[in-house]
Amino acid sequence: MVASGLFEVWIGAFFTLAIFSFLYKDNPFYKFAEHIFAGLSAGYYIGLIWKSVIIQQLWIPITNKGEWSLIIPGLLGMLMFARFFRKFSYISRISLAFVMGNTAGIFLVSQLHGLVLPQTQSTMLSLTGDGFVETLFALIVVIGVVSTLIYFYFSKEHTGVLGVTAKVGIWFIMISFGAHFGFTVMGRISLLIGRVYFLYNDWILGTLAMFD
Amino acid sequence: MSIWDKIGRLDRRWIYLLVAIAVVLPLIVPASFRVYVGPEAQQLFDAVEALPDSSVVLLTFDYYPSTLAETEPMSVAALHHLFRKNCKVLTLTTVPLGGPSIAERVTRKMAKKYNKMYGTDYVNLGFKANYVAVLKGLGSSVESIYPTDNSGTPLAELPMMADIQNYGDVDFIFVVSDNGIVENWISIVNAQYGTPIGAGVAAVMAPKFYAFIASGQMTGLLGGMKGAAEYEILVGEEDMALKGMAMQSLVHLLIIGLVILGNVGFFLGRKKEEGI
Amino acid sequence: MRSVLPIIVAFLSGFIMIASFFFNADRSFLGKLEEDLLTWVTIVGGFTLLLGVVSITRVNFNAVKQKKEDWFYKLLTLIAIYVMAVPAILPSSWSPLFGDEAGSIYDWLFTYVDTPMMGTMFAMLAFYIASAAYRAFRARNPEATLLLMTATLVMLWRIPMGEAFLREISIHLPDYINTFIMKGATMAVQRGIIIGAALGGASMSLRILLGIERTYMGKG
Repeated sequence: MVASGLFEVWIGAFFTLAIFSFLYKDNPFYKFAEHIFAGLSAGYYIGLIWKSVIIQQLWIPITNKGEWSLIIPGLLGMLMFARFFRKFSYISRISLAFVMGNTAGIFLVSQLHGLVLPQTQSTMLSLTGDGFVETLFALIVVIGVVSTLIYFYFSKEHTGVLGVTAKVGIWFIMISFGAHFGFTVMGRISLLIGRVYFLYNDWILGTLAMFD
Repeated sequence: MSIWDKIGRLDRRWIYLLVAIAVVLPLIVPASFRVYVGPEAQQLFDAVEALPDSSVVLLTFDYYPSTLAETEPMSVAALHHLFRKNCKVLTLTTVPLGGPSIAERVTRKMAKKYNKMYGTDYVNLGFKANYVAVLKGLGSSVESIYPTDNSGTPLAELPMMADIQNYGDVDFIFVVSDNGIVENWISIVNAQYGTPIGAGVAAVMAPKFYAFIASGQMTGLLGGMKGAAEYEILVGEEDMALKGMAMQSLVHLLIIGLVILGNVGFFLGRKKEEGI
Repeated sequence: MRSVLPIIVAFLSGFIMIASFFFNADRSFLGKLEEDLLTWVTIVGGFTLLLGVVSITRVNFNAVKQKKEDWFYKLLTLIAIYVMAVPAILPSSWSPLFGDEAGSIYDWLFTYVDTPMMGTMFAMLAFYIASAAYRAFRARNPEATLLLMTATLVMLWRIPMGEAFLREISIHLPDYINTFIMKGATMAVQRGIIIGAALGGASMSLRILLGIERTYMGKG
């Protein structure tokens, strides 16, 4: 999908095959590619944060607009690295708490207001719908939601009515997991198709085209 | 050792070989099959189609390079649609590893195809860390979270951004994602700011989002490569996803065959054991 | 004090977010405070991403220094980190190879080396899922049979050849699968899980804000 000159294609093909070689067994080519991959991915973060945070969110606003208050988050960010010094590691908690608290504040509202309420409201379906299919559908949804919730409710032993409902929940969950499996197969194959298409189209046909 | 025992103990590498053959075969012997458009993809297409010309659409590139094969065709098909409708396209990513590079590459390529000018017709905001805060912060001010675009140009210098202050100025959000961020787009952005959201997601997570379609919190859904192929059909641009569907067919049938074979072996083996 | 100050910071940082939601704080002092805090969090969040890079450098550096097993590969990782990072930090005005624009070392390495490898790592899962389907997907009991049947139906429905086959049986069959399996049973289960997980997420958030949950602070 990402192809340019033939040299780049050969580089991509080499690393693709090196990773695929693990399917046969672990080998030096795979190890070589794996370690390069880990290093490049970590290096990517340095370049990204340098540009998107240090330059764009700190340096430019401070120097162009005089937003000196941004020194505070800059310092809080630096404090994170105190984790690597045993004696001062507790200082990093302040920065971490700032991020965690903020995220928790947003989450507390969004989980209830954006997920629990609308999803619950949408389950309040009329069971005396317009026709047989609509009523059947509404029944499936209501029973499915309630029995799934009960299946995951572990504060009381699953016996009696609770046990029967949880059992119904398992049946619904199995259908859902089956559907998930079906979708997952497609997802995984898509990724393989992407790599095989690259090897066949860009690498093999691209190289052969050189000799035409 | 009976044939069923042998089949039951088949080395996994033979299965790998069968999968490889099933993927390669349709490349060598091309075949095409009709792909039917589902109601979820149609709903997303209709929502974008109904936007007035020059509407502002936020297109996200919330995916890692690992899932490019199923997510990039969605972004490409979306850009075909949006640029054709002369929408103002604002792009961003919440994915640190590769998101900004992918967004830059794909939007530039598509903009060139449609003669769109950077800064006037589209802007790439790039990446900022902590997606929960980013999503919430864009509701107050885009400029406070993104003082510059991806390449470091202050937003004030980009004509398109003059009219875009926050979600209130965005008409539609088209999320393309391979991770759980979509749920946050819904629970933070759609729920609190009311901006309509449609999404193209990796197949692995697609079943989850049927719940949001049903609750009306999402306007349309593309699930995996099939979803991307459906959108390609709708915008009339047959591309990677549609090409991939032939390969999908063969490997799916192989896996179904393997499941059946495995179960036949299992039952025959069990019958033999019971007989003993 | 080592724990109290972070708890106060976490509470205030989160409380402002909640208060601004309830008081529709746009254009007020609270709104401005919320806007600033969110910007700050995205900046601090950026630094947290670098913690992992420092960690990977330390671990690999120590392994190379002590000549541990596979130290040569770890040296490769170290070299790769800085071959990628150093040119990205240098200004592109010095050379088009620096910075992160198209044509830079950073962009080249990411596009032609890192991307194919990342794609391949995940592509291998296709082989594993096929192998797992063959070995483990057994109709051992009614529940497993239900799962297996649903998976097979959905797999058929998702592919063009399979959908054509289902349409041969009944023109409405694909629609029924979408309506009853996806929008019906699957949707209902997902909704149950979403509601349950959201309640869990909300209670965990409350525990963090009130200082009951402190595991994120680590030991000491």
